[in-house]
This record gives sequence, structure tokens and C-alpha cells, in this order.
Amino acid sequence: MKLLSTYRKEMTIAARGFYFYIEMIMAIIILVILLFAVKENPVSKSKEYIFYDMPQQVSDYLTEKDISEGNLRIGEPVEIKLKPIAFEALNEDTGEVTAYNFEEESVLELQTLEALNPDTGELSKTMYIVENEEDLVRIAYSEIEIGATIRMNAQSEFSYIYYMQGYETERLENLLYILHNETPETIEAMTDQQTVRTLDVFDKLNNRENLIPMMIVFMGSLMGFFIVMAYIFLDKSEGVIRAFAVTPSSVWSYLLTKIFVILTTVLFSTSIIVIPIMGSGPNYLMLYVFLIVTTFSMASLGLLIASFFDSMTKSFGVMYVLMIALLLPAFSYFIPSFDPFWLRFFPTYPMLQGMKEILLNGDMGYVLIYSAVFLVGGFILFLLANIKFKKTLTV
Amino acid sequence: MLKKLFIVFKKDFLTSRRDFMALYIMVAPIILAVCVQLFSPGLNDTTVNLAMFKSDDAQHIAYMEQFANVELFDSIDEVERRVLKRDDIAAVIPLGDDSGYEIVLQGNEDKIIENYAVMLNTFYELGATKEETTAQLVSFGRIVPPLKSMLVTMLISMTIMLAGMLISISIVEEKYENTINALNVTPISQTGFVLGKSLLGAVVTLVGIVCAVLITGFYDINWFMILLMGFTSMLLSFIIGFLQGLGSDDVMEAAAGVKMIMLPIAGSIAGYEFLADKWQWTMYWSPFYWAYKANIMILSKTADWGTVLLAAGMVTVLTLLVYLLMLPKLRKGLS
Repeated sequence: MKLLSTYRKEMTIAARGFYFYIEMIMAIIILVILLFAVKENPVSKSKEYIFYDMPQQVSDYLTEKDISEGNLRIGEPVEIKLKPIAFEALNEDTGEVTAYNFEEESVLELQTLEALNPDTGELSKTMYIVENEEDLVRIAYSEIEIGATIRMNAQSEFSYIYYMQGYETERLENLLYILHNETPETIEAMTDQQTVRTLDVFDKLNNRENLIPMMIVFMGSLMGFFIVMAYIFLDKSEGVIRAFAVTPSSVWSYLLTKIFVILTTVLFSTSIIVIPIMGSGPNYLMLYVFLIVTTFSMASLGLLIASFFDSMTKSFGVMYVLMIALLLPAFSYFIPSFDPFWLRFFPTYPMLQGMKEILLNGDMGYVLIYSAVFLVGGFILFLLANIKFKKTLTV
Repeated sequence: MLKKLFIVFKKDFLTSRRDFMALYIMVAPIILAVCVQLFSPGLNDTTVNLAMFKSDDAQHIAYMEQFANVELFDSIDEVERRVLKRDDIAAVIPLGDDSGYEIVLQGNEDKIIENYAVMLNTFYELGATKEETTAQLVSFGRIVPPLKSMLVTMLISMTIMLAGMLISISIVEEKYENTINALNVTPISQTGFVLGKSLLGAVVTLVGIVCAVLITGFYDINWFMILLMGFTSMLLSFIIGFLQGLGSDDVMEAAAGVKMIMLPIAGSIAGYEFLADKWQWTMYWSPFYWAYKANIMILSKTADWGTVLLAAGMVTVLTLLVYLLMLPKLRKGLS
């Protein structure tokens, strides 16, 4: 009862301040950005510069063939300004080094071809056709993009020269080499014979939906860690914690109500983002359970850290380093092939993956296991914070 | 005036040494720089991960290792368990009737993973080798991948925010302790005091940025350009700090303000990286966009003085514009 009364009082105070409203405004801004600025399917920004070293009729024929097969479409021509520049290029096969020195500024108009994904029909890369090899090399160097000369000899055989930046991995270079062993027809025929077996059928989040777990985890639960610290330092400076010592309320109920305020805010802001975008798709029961336990554990961590310092500025370093460390699993979330083992021990890793499973209504076993882990972990952190606050009653 | 500012800065520096505050601000970008240095090789290696049998033909394994990260397993159960884990990995294992190989996927991978694995198996079955290729590679000898430049530029943007955050919290705490009112009976003006306090965050941040750029190995960039952008970015930190610090009544409001400022920073980075060229103009309102654009071009060594001066000018003008617009609020905050 006392807990409820303290919570009501805290919420009344929170409603008077700006924080609660800023959270709601932020959630609305994020929702608007996701709905109107983020497309459901990502738009490729991949660029390639190409010089066809062959008779015009042949390159036109190849282009028209691709267009008729639906693999290519003509885009708007672009103008490109090139500054004076000097550099060297090393042919990795012959060891020959060529020095280039362009002393004049140059403006080129390039024909644009847009390569399309045969499965989805969406843009997969944009290719710009350059009229001579010198311009191609200059553009590839200046624009830091890949360039390729496609050459046809008298026997109508094709060969390729790729202009690379130098930081590409050896594996990628090896792949470029073997791409040009056989004719495209032979490769296509063999590719069609490959057997692909999938172990399960999964739904996937689209580009827009895929951003939601990150927004919830980083703008919600993780900020709870930061905001609860701000609450505590505010109360410390006002002597509220010391005042609690002479009231019938216990320190733990005071700390818990702070977490409840954060939880209320996070529940509202998350709902504002998730419901309009995901509709009835996610498992909402698990979403709120997971949200509550993760926010509780993060806020408990914030409480524990706050118990060691007198002010926000003094805790700043620890808080900042921790927040940065907790952001790291975002790399693995967005680049699934980058998944080092040690990164899985960061709490935000299962938070992101768990949210993804919930939105997909997928592996609820994973979500339940980590809900239990966060609950137990949060409880231990809360106990430690409570012990520390009770011992010191620091203000 | 300058002497008084310097006295406040010196006093603040001495105080902050006791809290290790200055050390924290300087160390934070350095820790991040070390992380970037450790992470960027792994992030840059964008080839596919493959699971194969240990008992598979050694030549087959060696072939695949030329193009992919290969993990080896004893049995089909182990392979399937590995494929079912959360990261993207494809398995290439023999078909039951020994008629070739099959690609095993979890089912939720990006299409590119499937295509890559299928392509590699196709080339293996065709007997394609590097030696028989009709391709040649020419390299410009650059060694820093664009992803690394991007991460370091993001780090610089975060450091600008960090300085602003620190200035704002520091001002709020001074307001809370009534130091600003107490200044009325000292020879230094309130504005001078706030500027002096902000100098610490800005100067130490500049040092942090320089250290971070050095740690990540960007030695041969144009240092005049990066320092110019560093000094211009200090203005940004000032404005973030002033607006949040003087506009907030308590540390809670300052903390919420920090969250608000993350939006234009993240938005500017996303805008520069993901918007098509023809839509870049939609980000011109943001000083963070100009700072990010100039810094990433300097680090990738594609910047010229015209672009850097334009970016520095835009950051200055936009920041001053915000300052002038918010001046009444700042005055109110100081009173």
C-alpha cells in the first residue's frame, strides 16, 4: 500500500516535469521517422563504374539484352566533377605500377544503368558507364568506388580489369578472380542444379521493423539505466533519500518506485512505437514481460552505480563507458555475420535478439530463458543497491 | 575578460581533477578508439561463414577457405546445431547419396548469404581456380576501409555530444548550488563564468579527439583540416551544453535533453550515409551533418579546402543562428 502511494506520488511529480513528456514526444518522433523516412525494403547505394572496351554495338546489345530480361533499367544520367589529382595504381597480377597525373579539373556526364534484383525487381546496384579507361581509373580513385573495364578481344572473348581501393580482403579478391573462369551461361546452369535445404521456415522483419528492437532497447531500457541515475542524483541533491530515513517507508520501496516510474514511461513510449508499425503481429504478452524485466535489470544497474557517487558529473565516466559498451551488440545485430562469442555476454545482446524474436512471434523459449536471467540478475543488482543505500544513506 | 575566463577554466580543471572528470572525458574517446581499432578488421571481413565436416575432402575445405570463414564439425547434428544459432552461417555438406554437396541454411538468413554459398559451391563443382581467371586486379594501395573512417567519424560526433552533455550537467549542478547567483558579487560576469566552465569540456574533448584519431592510425591525414573541424565542433558542444544546461532546472531535465540531442546527431549520420545524393540537401539544416561530412572526407582523404571551409562555415553559421534564436532563453537561464 505504501509502495502504491509512493508510486502515485512519484508519477504525479514526474507528470509535472518535462522528462515524461519528452519521452512521449521522442517516441512519436521516432514513430514518424520510421513510418515516413525508413522504407520497408532497403534502397541499395552500391555503385560501380564501368568502361566497355569493345565496339559500341556489342555493349549496346549486352545492355539491351539485360533490359529485355528485366535485369537492368536505364537511369537518369549524372554529372560528375573530378578534381586535379595524382596517384599510382599497382597491377597485382603483373606487378606493374602505373602513375596517373590529372592536372585539369574535369566534368563528365555518365550514362546510368540500374541493376535489378531478379527475385524482387528492386535496385541492387547503380552502374555508371564511363567512356574511356583513364576517366574510369580517375573516377574509381576519386570516388572511392569499384571500377571495372570489360574488354572483348578479336575472338569475342571477354576479360575484366577491376580497379580496387586496396583495403578489400583477400577473400573478396579471390572471389573476383574465380567469378571469371567460366561463361555466365555455364555458371547459371550449374547454379540452378545446386541443392539448398532450409532447416526451418522463418518470418523476417523488414527494414523498418528491423529497427524497432534497437529503438526499444537503446531508447527505452538502456536509457532507463541513465534516467534512474539522474532521478537518484536529483533526490540526493534535494536530501530526499535522507528524509526517507525518518519516514515509515523503507529505502527499497523508494528505489522500487523510481524504477516503476521509468517502467511506466518505457511501457508507454514502446507501445507508441510498436503498435502502429507491428499491428497484431508480435506476442504482446511477452513483449511487455520482457520489457519489464529488462528495464528493471538495467534500472537496477543504474541504481547500484548511483549508490557509489554523489553527483551526475562524478559518475559520468563510469556511466559513459558502460553505455558505450552496452551499445556494441548493435554491430552484431545489424551485421549478423559479425558475431564474436564474447559479444554474447553483453546484456544488450539478448535484449536485442529477444525483442526480435518477440516481434517475429518466434522462439519464445529464448525470450523466457532470458526473461528469467534478467529478472534474477536485476533482483541481485537491486538487492545490492538497496544494501548500499541503506548503509550509506548518501545524500 | 579573457584572464577571468582562464581563471575559471583553471579552477574548474583543478576541481575536475579531484573527480577524475577531465580524465574520464579524455579517456572515453580513447577507449572507443581502441574498440574501433579492434572491431574494424572483423567488421570489414564481409565474406560468408561456412560450416563443413571435418571428414570432408581436405582440398574442398582448403578451396572454401580461400573465400569464406570455415568452421569444421564432426557430425550432421553438430552442423545443424551451428546453423540454427543466431548468427548467419551456411553449411556445405555432402548429399546423402554422395552425388555432390548441399547448402544447409537456417531459413532466416539474408538472401546474399544463400547466393554466396550457392555460388561458392558452383565454382567448386566447376573446378574454377584463380589461376585460370580472365580477370586482373589493380589496386590503389589504400589500407583504411571506409567502415573504419565511418566509425571514427561517429566517435567524433559522440565526443561532441559527450562534451555538450558534460557542460550541461555541470551548469545544472552549478545552478542548483546557486553558484551562478553568487557570481553577482564577484568581478566575473555570469556569461564569463559559464564560458569558462565550458572551456574545460571543449578543450579536453579536442585532446580526446586528436588521441582517438591517432590511435586508430589516421596519421597522414590533413591535420589542419581536422583541427579546424575540431575547433568548429567545439562551438557545437558549447551550444548543446548551454542550451541544455541553462534551459534545464534540474539534472533530470538535462538528462532528458541529452536524449533529445541524440536524434539530430543520429539522424545526420543516417542521412549522410543512407540518403541518395539527390536528397542530401534535406540534411543541410543540421550542423552535425556538416561536421560529420567534413570529418569523414578528411579521414578518407577525399576532402579539399573548399569543402572543409564550407562545412566549417555552415557549422559556425548554423550554431550561431541557434545561439541567437535561443538567446532570450539563455539569458533567462542565467538570471
